[in-house]
Amino acid sequence: MSTTSGAGSNATASAGTAPNAVEIAGLRKVFNANKANAVEALVDVDLTIAPGEFVSLIGPSGCGKSTLLRLIANLLDPTSGTVLVNGKPAAQARQDQDYGMAFQQSGLFEWRSVVRNIELPLELKGWGKAERRARAHEMLELVKLGDFAGHMPWQLSGGMQQRVAIARALAAHPPLLLMDEPFGALDEMTREHMQAELLQICARTSTTVVFVTHSIPEAVYLSNRVVVMSPRPGRITEIIDVDLGSDRDEDTREATEFYGRITAVREALRGIEMGAGPRGIEDR
Amino acid sequence: MSDRGSGTSALRTAQLAQVVLPPVVFGVLFFGAWELLVAAFDIKPYFLVPPSDILGRFLDNFDLIWAAMRVSGANALIGLLVGAILGVAMSFVLLRFRVLDEIVTPLSIALNAVPIFVLVAVFNNMFAITSEVPRRLMVTLVVYFVVLVNVARGLRQVDATHVELMKSYAASDWTVLRLVRVPNAIPYFFTALKIAAPLAVITAFVSEYFGGSQNGLGNKITSNLATSKKAEGWAYVGGACLLGLAFYLFAVVLEMVVTPRGAGDRAERGRSGA
Amino acid sequence: MIHRLRRAAMFVVAMLLVVALWEGYKAIGPAKGGDVLGFGILPRTNDQVMPHVWSMVTGLFDPAQRQGDQTVLSVVLGGAWYSFRIALVGFAGGVAGGMAIAVVLTRFRLAERAILPYLVISQTVPLIALAPLVAGWGGKLQIGDWVWPKWMSAAVLGAFLAFFPVAVGTLRGLKSPNAASLELMDSLAASWWRTLVKLRFPSAVPYIVPALKLGGAGAVVGVVVAEISTGLKGGIGRLIIEYSRQATSEPTKVFTSIFGAALLGLTMAAIVACIDLALMRNRPKESAS
Repeated sequence: MSTTSGAGSNATASAGTAPNAVEIAGLRKVFNANKANAVEALVDVDLTIAPGEFVSLIGPSGCGKSTLLRLIANLLDPTSGTVLVNGKPAAQARQDQDYGMAFQQSGLFEWRSVVRNIELPLELKGWGKAERRARAHEMLELVKLGDFAGHMPWQLSGGMQQRVAIARALAAHPPLLLMDEPFGALDEMTREHMQAELLQICARTSTTVVFVTHSIPEAVYLSNRVVVMSPRPGRITEIIDVDLGSDRDEDTREATEFYGRITAVREALRGIEMGAGPRGIEDR
Repeated sequence: MSDRGSGTSALRTAQLAQVVLPPVVFGVLFFGAWELLVAAFDIKPYFLVPPSDILGRFLDNFDLIWAAMRVSGANALIGLLVGAILGVAMSFVLLRFRVLDEIVTPLSIALNAVPIFVLVAVFNNMFAITSEVPRRLMVTLVVYFVVLVNVARGLRQVDATHVELMKSYAASDWTVLRLVRVPNAIPYFFTALKIAAPLAVITAFVSEYFGGSQNGLGNKITSNLATSKKAEGWAYVGGACLLGLAFYLFAVVLEMVVTPRGAGDRAERGRSGA
Repeated sequence: MIHRLRRAAMFVVAMLLVVALWEGYKAIGPAKGGDVLGFGILPRTNDQVMPHVWSMVTGLFDPAQRQGDQTVLSVVLGGAWYSFRIALVGFAGGVAGGMAIAVVLTRFRLAERAILPYLVISQTVPLIALAPLVAGWGGKLQIGDWVWPKWMSAAVLGAFLAFFPVAVGTLRGLKSPNAASLELMDSLAASWWRTLVKLRFPSAVPYIVPALKLGGAGAVVGVVVAEISTGLKGGIGRLIIEYSRQATSEPTKVFTSIFGAALLGLTMAAIVACIDLALMRNRPKESAS
């Protein structure tokens, strides 16, 4: 059947002395700890992501994939376990702006023009005006919005707003990009277009990406590895390698291997739904 | 190119006519009917005065009316400015101290239901008989609560994604305040100002019914009516309406100057959520 | 539950804080008022204008008149009750009128374009200025055998101030259903009336409720101002004016009357809140407020 690998498998094998982009060990997160309504959001999570890798987190709602992303981003603190980003503790990495983040809502400031939105992280790093303006224009070219620098966010379509958000996330050239269902609110056509562009951008900037999604084809198309998670309590059940090569294009979506990987991920997810019970025969 | 231009401009004129014509026609009909009714049924002036009479008296007595408008208008303007400044300042304090917010906000909401302008009866006794301070104080108080409630809401109800984004940049509370909360609160401030500006005029003017100095619009209306100068009374009412409208337009223009286009949409959303 | 208790406790704290501020200023402020930078803006603090809070409380039970046996409290409550009934009449009239005009404007696009601008402007204009004019009708206007009663002027003014917010809010609500819902009603061949009753009115409820709050407060303001500007006897407005003139001899009376006005406003708000609860049950919490 499919060549799936167990949790926490072979990705540590990265060349050279460069630290891993993300290193998670024994991670556990409990919301409302020590209270009646305590919820175990994540247990026993071990995951290592090498520099330049594209890793998707997928699973049914409540499986803790967004929580895991926020623990990497240090927007939440773990109950126990460690998270290293670029070889540093996650809190330090956040202070150093070692990652950029994009959300489901573009989160653009509607009172700032497009270019000033992209400048925001640079402004907070204390860059000079000319310097950050130049970088922002460079980023706008990267996301193919060079003509829209002076526009206000509300003048752009949803897909364009999301591209501005990606430009903002990458403006400081962080080695790591964290994305929380960034294309979830877009229509299918725009979505596929954005996926292709994201791959190009990441290849050009050699950025590591951790990508949360609901969509199986999206995860497979984008990723080197797909991390399948299950709820109650949230944990990693399977990590699936996707060997579709580094030059993925529209033809990739029609390749047999693509469908093979989609089936593998779907089966992993179906296993979660069925729980310990017998596998259904309706495996199509 | 120019062909299309003139085409759209003709279209725009037609649209404009659609917007402007009906209210103008309605206004003319309304005042015409009023005028005719008064004449046809010989309605006594204590009930209704014909609009032509009101307009005539307004023009005849314009200097007097203008003087009264300036008295009430000055009270409203001073109260509006002081109340808005104090309201904005206090909303920052409430943001900083959560407990204080929990104390003040229910009080402000309860005050919304209460006719607080009656407090001017107490203020009048607190100051010298000729002082305008009681009326200004009253306007300040009314404006203060309107601005406070709205701006405090604008500072707090920020987009959750914006907050997460700023946290991912490890931004300090001060930076979040400067870059997210204050810009977010600006449309709320103007929503408050558009409510408070006409309210300031109304308050300034109702306060005069409680006694005190005798030169404002409110006093002129009652004193003219008492001496059965009915048309003059109505003319002063017209002055009051102009003053209220002027204050409102002042707030609208200020908003247009300060906020870029499109930010108003958000203010509307803020208001509908209120 | 704990949340509610906490809110109630915070309200009590707020009241105590107001009392503390009052007594605090009274203790340190100048008895005859004072200047700041040449402006006479410091209020006087003597017992005639700023009585102690506890004397306000004991003052409730003083006789209202030298040789009467009615207490100030019962006179004020009577006045508030009198004004409340007028305000209720005005509120009902204003709501009925406001909703009716909203329905008409929804039905006829031309009427909406003609009248809506005036409704919007009316909210920025001190309509309250009409109070003394309308009040002048009392006792003079006669239609057949029926003489316009004085209280009716106050009710008309209350209705007038309730009318405009209700009209604007209802109109906005009646126009709120989305195209899909309207198309659904069309596909069911529903008449305009049935669409109004089954779709437009239910969709308008979340808009009508806040409008009723504004309208209720407006009705109270209209009635109190009408009473004050014309000296209509029996109501709370007149009592406030009367008692503020007696401040030198009996300083606490005016405060009692102000509390009466506050009570009047809060009672009206409570009634609107009950309407709110009744209308908004089975609705998501967010759309309320």
